Amino acid sequence: MNALRPHAEDEFAHELSTLAAIDDRPRPPRWQLSPWAVLTYLMGGTVRGPEGDDVVIVPKYVGQRRLIEIAISTLATDRALLLLGVPGTAKTWVSEHLAAAISGNSTLLVQGTAGTTEESLRYGWNYARLLSEGPTEAALVPSPVYRAMQSGAIVRVEELTRMPGDVQDALVTILSEKTLPVPELAGLQHRGEVQAVAGFNLIATANDRDRGVNDLSAALRRRFNTVVLPLPTDADEEVAIVQRRVTELGAALSLPPVPAAADEIRRVVTIFRELRSGVSEDGRVALKVPTGSLSTAEAISVVTNGMSLAVHFGSGTMTAADIAAGIIGAVVKDPVHDQLAWREYLEAVVRERAHWGDFYDACRALG
Amino acid sequence: MSAPLAVLGVRHHGPGSARSVVRALEELQPDVVLVELAADCQPALQWIGDPELRPPIALLGYVVDTPQRARFSPFAEFSPEWQAFTWARRHSVEMRAIDLPLSNTLASGGATGGGVAADELLLAEHPPIDPIAVLARAGGDFDPERWWEDVIEHRGDGLEAFAAVGEAMTAVRGTAEAADLRELRREAHMRQCVRRAQADGFSRIVVVCGAWHVPALAGVYPPASVDAQVLRGLAKVTVGVSWVPWTHRRLASSSGYGAGVDSPGWYAHVFAHPGPDGVTRWFVDAARLLRSRDMAASPDHLIAGIRAAEALAALRGRPRPGLAEVLDAADAVMAGEAGLTLIRDQLVIGDVIGKVPDAAPQVPLARDVALQQRKARLKPEAGTRLVELDLRAPAGRARSVLLHRLTALGVSWGSLEEGRGSSGTFRETWRVRWDPELSIRLIELAGHGTTLQQATISLLTERLEHADVLADLVAVLDAALLCELPEVVSPCVRRLGSQAAHAPDVAQLIDTMGPLSRSLRYGDVRGTDATSLRDVFDGLVVRVIAGVPTACRSLDDEASAAMVERLAAVQAALAMCDHPARHDQWPVVLTVLSERADVHGRVQGRAARLAHDIGSWAPARVQQRLARALSIGTPPATGASFVEGFLAGSGTVLVHDSELLDVVDEWVSSLSHESFSATSPLLRRTFGAFDIAERRQLGLLVSDQATAPTMFGQGVDDRRAALALATVRDLLGVAR
Repeated sequence: MNALRPHAEDEFAHELSTLAAIDDRPRPPRWQLSPWAVLTYLMGGTVRGPEGDDVVIVPKYVGQRRLIEIAISTLATDRALLLLGVPGTAKTWVSEHLAAAISGNSTLLVQGTAGTTEESLRYGWNYARLLSEGPTEAALVPSPVYRAMQSGAIVRVEELTRMPGDVQDALVTILSEKTLPVPELAGLQHRGEVQAVAGFNLIATANDRDRGVNDLSAALRRRFNTVVLPLPTDADEEVAIVQRRVTELGAALSLPPVPAAADEIRRVVTIFRELRSGVSEDGRVALKVPTGSLSTAEAISVVTNGMSLAVHFGSGTMTAADIAAGIIGAVVKDPVHDQLAWREYLEAVVRERAHWGDFYDACRALG
Repeated sequence: MSAPLAVLGVRHHGPGSARSVVRALEELQPDVVLVELAADCQPALQWIGDPELRPPIALLGYVVDTPQRARFSPFAEFSPEWQAFTWARRHSVEMRAIDLPLSNTLASGGATGGGVAADELLLAEHPPIDPIAVLARAGGDFDPERWWEDVIEHRGDGLEAFAAVGEAMTAVRGTAEAADLRELRREAHMRQCVRRAQADGFSRIVVVCGAWHVPALAGVYPPASVDAQVLRGLAKVTVGVSWVPWTHRRLASSSGYGAGVDSPGWYAHVFAHPGPDGVTRWFVDAARLLRSRDMAASPDHLIAGIRAAEALAALRGRPRPGLAEVLDAADAVMAGEAGLTLIRDQLVIGDVIGKVPDAAPQVPLARDVALQQRKARLKPEAGTRLVELDLRAPAGRARSVLLHRLTALGVSWGSLEEGRGSSGTFRETWRVRWDPELSIRLIELAGHGTTLQQATISLLTERLEHADVLADLVAVLDAALLCELPEVVSPCVRRLGSQAAHAPDVAQLIDTMGPLSRSLRYGDVRGTDATSLRDVFDGLVVRVIAGVPTACRSLDDEASAAMVERLAAVQAALAMCDHPARHDQWPVVLTVLSERADVHGRVQGRAARLAHDIGSWAPARVQQRLARALSIGTPPATGASFVEGFLAGSGTVLVHDSELLDVVDEWVSSLSHESFSATSPLLRRTFGAFDIAERRQLGLLVSDQATAPTMFGQGVDDRRAALALATVRDLLGVAR
C-alpha cells in the first residue's frame, strides 16, 4: 500500500509491536498497551526489544511530559479527554497517536463542522433496507462513536466546537451514561440501546480562540478532563518540531533531501515567533501582531512549500527567496492591517539584522 | 557508651519525618530529648505547651548590640523538631537544645550581617553537599524533594526508616569531602551535649537532628578532649532570643527564604491527614475554595479528580498521589488557569499565621510598639475602624505621631482617610486595622532599632541618604515632620538646601515649595522648630524668582500648560506663609512675564491674571493688557491663548468675581464694531469651552438681567436666614 498519509498505527507499527511485546505492566481492559508504554510511545525513548536489540521510539509529542501523563491517566479512568489549544499545537496529532497506541486504531473519527449532524455522532439508516425490512440492526448505519462503544475502543471527535451546540450535546448521554439509546430497535429481541464496552473512551479536540466556534455547554464541559496544549515555549523546541515534521513530510512527498534547510527553518520560526508575540527576539522592538494565527503548523507548511520550490524550480538548495513568498502569504491575511504590520517588521527588524540581507532583498523583490 | 542512644535523622519541615519522630518517641519512651537547635534557645523552650504558642512560629536570635545580626528558626506544626518538643512537653520529659550556641555562631564572621531580613535559616543550615540530592540521584530520581517524599515521608515506618536514613547518610558522607570548620564545631558541640546527658544519668536518650548529622552523632565518638579542643576559644556575643509569629507564606521558599519549603500548605495537610483519605480531603478543600469564588466544583468533579490523581500516580510509579498529581488532576478536571492559581495560593502555600503569648519574650521593637499603643490608648484590633484625631490636644497628637511613625516604617496599621497626608490641618481621620502580617513587619524591622522612635529615625535617615530628587527629599521631610523627629528634619533641611542650589530645573524647585510652605504654615501646630525650614524656604523663593523668567521662555503648548499651574502654585505657596516676596519681587516677575514677547501667550495671560489677583495691577492696566493681547498686531493664536491663560479655563471665577467681570466687560464694550468682529472668534475659543450654565449666567449678568450673586437683595428674613446659617455652619464644621 502506498497511502499518501498512512495512519499512525501503520506508520509506527514496528514501534507499537515492540512495545506490546516487552510491555509487562497491567493494561486497562481492551488497551493494547499499558499506560506506561503509551507514554513511552508518545514521548519517545529507547527500549530493549524482545530480541535484545535496542529499538528507538521516535518522540511523537515534543513538550511537557506531564501533559501527556494527564491525558493518558484521564483515558485510563472513564472520563473523556478534551485537548484544547490554538491551531498548530498538535492536538489532532496527539489524539491520533493516543488512539493508535491505546486501541491500535486511529480511524474511528468524527470531524466536527458547522454541518455535522446528530447522525454522525449517533447512527443513521440505510434507507433502502429500512424501507424493505423496517428498523433492524442490519438497516442501521452506525457512527464511529457507535462502533467504538461496541468494540471498546477510543473514538476521536475533531474540532468539537465547530459543531452546532445541540449536536455537541448529543454526547452528554454517551459520556455520562455510557449508553446510546436506539429507541427504533426497542422490542423483544433488542433492548433499545447500545452499552459501551469497557475500554471505550472519547478524545475531543477543540480550539477556543478561532472565530466561528460554538462554546461547549457547561453540562458537556463537566464530562471532560481538559488538557491545554501550549505553543512551544522556546525557539529551539519549535525548530525541532518543524524540522522533524518537514523531514517526515518530505519523505512522504518523495522530495529529495534539501541541504542547508536548518538555517532557513530557524529563520521561519524566528519570524513567526516574533510576530506572534509582538516583540522582537532581543526585546527591543515592539511589533504589530498580524491577524493570522502563525502557528507551528503554518511554519511547517511554509518550509515544505519552500523545499518544493527549491527542488522543482530552484537550485535544489533552499534559499531565502524560496521561503519569502510562503512567509508573506502566511503573515498577510488581512490586506490592510497585516500588510502594514509586515512592512514595519521588514524595515524595523529584518533590515537591521545581520546576515538577513538576502531575505530582506527577496521580500522587497516580491513587493 | 553508658546509656542507649537513638539518633533520629529528619528532613527539616518534613511532615513524614514529623510523624515518624512521634512514633519513634512513643516506641522508645526516652527520658530526655535532645534537638538540633542552638543551645542558648533553651530558655525559650519553657513556652512550649502554652496554648497561646501556636505554630507557624519562629525563634529569633539577635545580637543585642547589633540587632540586625539575627537568625530565624521557623517551626511549623509539621516540623519534626516541633513535634519532638510537644511530645516531650506532653510526657513531661526533659528537652534540651544542643546545637552550637547562637552567641558563638553570630559572633563569627560567617553569620549574616546587615540587611533587614536576616535570611539564613538556622535549622536547615546547608550541609556541604545536599545529601538528599545525592541519595535521590543514586535512586534514579533527579527531584530530591519528591524522592524523599516517596521513599521516606509517605512511608512513616518508624524506627526502621530512621535506621535506613542513618545508613544512607553514612554512605553519602563517606563520599563527601571533609566538612568545613563550622560544621565540625556544631557537631562537636552536639556530641558534648550528648556526653553531658549521659553523665547526667539519663537512661534513654533520643537525638532529633537533620539527617546529615546522623553519622556524626550515632557513630563512634572521638575522645571528648578532641571535641573540647575544637570548641575552645570561640568568640562570643550577647544574644537575645524571642518567639515571633510566622506564616506559611514566609515559610515558602518562593518568599525568597533560603531553606524554606515549596508547599507548606500541602505539608500541613499531609501531616494532619496522613491516611488514604488525605487526597479526598484535599479535593474537598479545593472544591470548597473554588465554590467560595463562584467557580464550578461539583462532587462529580471531586470523584473524577481523585481518580485522575490516582491514575497519574500509578502512571508515574509513585506509591500514592503527591502534590504534583493532585495539582495536575485538579487542573485537568475542574480548575483551569484561574482556579489553579487560587489553589496554589490558598492550599499549597496557605494563609496560616502563628501566635505567640503576650508574656513570652518578644522583639524589643515589638515590645516598644505595644507600649506606645497602650500609652496612646489605641489597641491593635483586627476589625477596621475610623479614628478621629484633634492634633491640638496632646492625646490626639500622640496618636497621630504613633500612626505616622508606623506608616513611615511601612507598618500600615492606619491609612489617612482625608486631608492631604500633609501637615496642613489640625484634624486627621485614620482608618485603622491591625493585620498579623504587621507584627512580622515589625520583626523584620527589628534591625533598625529597639524602640519605635529609633527605628523610624534609622529608616527615614536611610531613605534620606538614597533620595536624589528633590521630590523624594520633600517626601522624607514631610514624613519626618509628621513623625515629629527633629533628628531627621535638620539633616533633611540641610540636604534640601544644598540640593536646591544644584537643581537645574526651576519646575522641581517650585514643586518643592508647596509642601514646604504647608509645613511652615502649620508646623507649629505640631511644635516643630521651623527656623531652619524658613531659611531653606527663603532660599528657594530667591532661586525661583530668579529662575522663573528664563524658565518661561520658549515653551511649547504642553509645557506652558504645566508652567501656568506652577506659577499659580508659587503664588499660593507665597500666600500660605505670607512671604514678603509676595508683594515685593513676585509682582515684578509677573509683570516681566506678562510683557515679554518670547513668553507663551498662555503664560502671559496667567501672569496678568495673577498680578490682578494680588492687587498689584490696577483694573485699568489689566484692561489695557487684555486689549493689547486681542488687537490686530498680536498673532491671533497668541491672543487666544492669552485669554485662555487669563481666565484659567473657567467661567465660574468671572461669575463670582464682579471686579474681574467688569474688567473684561468694559474692555469688550470699548471695542469698535470692526475690532469686535475681529476678536470675537478668538474669544469664542475660550468662552465656548465654558459650561452652558456658566455662559448663560454670564450673559444674564452682563445684560443686567441678574444681579451678582454676592448681593442678598432686599427683604431678607432674619429668622429664616439664621436657620440656614446654622446648617451652613454645621456643614463647614465651624463652631457657633
